[in-house]
Amino acid sequence: MSAATKKEKKITEKMRDLVDKTIQRGVKGVQFARSGKANVGQSPKDLIYDRGTLKLYHYHPMSDEVYRIPVILVMATTNRGYIFDLLPGQSMVEYLLKRGFDVYMIDWDPPMPSERGLSLADYTQDFIPSCVERVQQESGEEDVNIIAYCMGGVLSLIYAATHLDGPVKNLACLTTPINWQEMGLFNNWTNQQHLNLDKLVDTLGVIPADFIERSFSMLRPAAKTAGQLRLWDQMWNDEFVTSYRAFERWGNETIGLPGTYYKETTQELMWGNKLFTEELIVAGKPAKLSEIKIPLMHIVAEHDHIATYGATKPLLELAGSEDKEEVVLKGGHVSLIAGPNAVRRMWPKINEWLGERSV
Amino acid sequence: MTKKDQSEKPSATFNDWVSQWERTVDKFSNQFMGTSEFSQSINLMQNMQLEYQRAFGEQMAKQLANFNMPSRDDILELSEVMRDIDRRMARMETAINKLEKGQARGANKKPTSPPRTKRPPVKKA
Repeated sequence: MSAATKKEKKITEKMRDLVDKTIQRGVKGVQFARSGKANVGQSPKDLIYDRGTLKLYHYHPMSDEVYRIPVILVMATTNRGYIFDLLPGQSMVEYLLKRGFDVYMIDWDPPMPSERGLSLADYTQDFIPSCVERVQQESGEEDVNIIAYCMGGVLSLIYAATHLDGPVKNLACLTTPINWQEMGLFNNWTNQQHLNLDKLVDTLGVIPADFIERSFSMLRPAAKTAGQLRLWDQMWNDEFVTSYRAFERWGNETIGLPGTYYKETTQELMWGNKLFTEELIVAGKPAKLSEIKIPLMHIVAEHDHIATYGATKPLLELAGSEDKEEVVLKGGHVSLIAGPNAVRRMWPKINEWLGERSV
Repeated sequence: MTKKDQSEKPSATFNDWVSQWERTVDKFSNQFMGTSEFSQSINLMQNMQLEYQRAFGEQMAKQLANFNMPSRDDILELSEVMRDIDRRMARMETAINKLEKGQARGANKKPTSPPRTKRPPVKKA
């Protein structure tokens, strides 16, 4: 075949590909517009504890034998826990179950008006300990491990620091902010000189979900439009579209926060930076990271725009544990947990670290 | 990606352009939103909105009470009661299901869960 014929064939193939994709974009675009919510969180599970905003799930095992120590996933208070179990094949829960972990998850429902007064103490001295107790009953094991995401990590650290002889044997934090003065734009928006925190909390009671969602979106104002452009480009690609729909649903289903909890977080962590300075006191107990001695792993994302690397980095320096490790991975705040790279990078790391400490 | 690759994949060129645009807009917006003036103005707007919301809410609640109709707070309270009833029902349903399964399996047999004997894979030297 001559070079000219080869070139002609290549151009024809490219044209065909372009036309094919354009047609598919049209057809699948209509399907996309008519489709309902993405089917997320499909791994079989039982709700074993349910109290107001708090939900504790136990996932059905997927292996013939499991590690001795059960693992509890602690979700951030602003979002739904199904980010851990996004889609079959794109689920950290499924990954852990198949590798022999007995998995539980603490998830949060939107708080109701009567829960406006929930505080950091309620989350760390009541909700988490109650769930740990349930897991101990359900599994018959005294020890537990915790994997906690973002603000779930902050709560778990406070819990661990105030329950030094507690049953937590290993703690893995994912993108957990410690130095809140490094929280970038959040710092500016909640500037003590300008924000009337009392008025905000007293008027709203429960900080609405759209308020929280707006502040996340404002960190990257172009992300939504850019995402939609990428979706249009990839509309022919079923795998991409399924994943996009799941992430989009998760992003839209932000959860509101109890006013008192929001106020305390802003005052104590953002303004006072007390987790970092080790001055935090919760329910009369000091919550010092340097007192935590259990094995600790912190996985942080290189391009995290919410909990920046500057905000997450001090955990390893402050924690009193001898067995501690920081892992910096490529990705952002959300893609670290459930993005295409999570299966190659983050989940195997958790499996390896926690597996050898779970017997 | 080389220029040759890009010319062969229009999709990649498009993606690069989108990423570039996204970075530029975000960078510019973040610079603007990181100023003290921005913080002052959004908080001022927020305060005004909260003030309006509070005043309007109070007024509306009074009007609704005059018409003998429930306010937003009443509806929310009711929905909370409904949620609690719903959850109690779900718990009862779960308990009944467990009981039924237990009876089907034989009253004394515990549901089988895998043994806690898993060991981590041996690391290759």
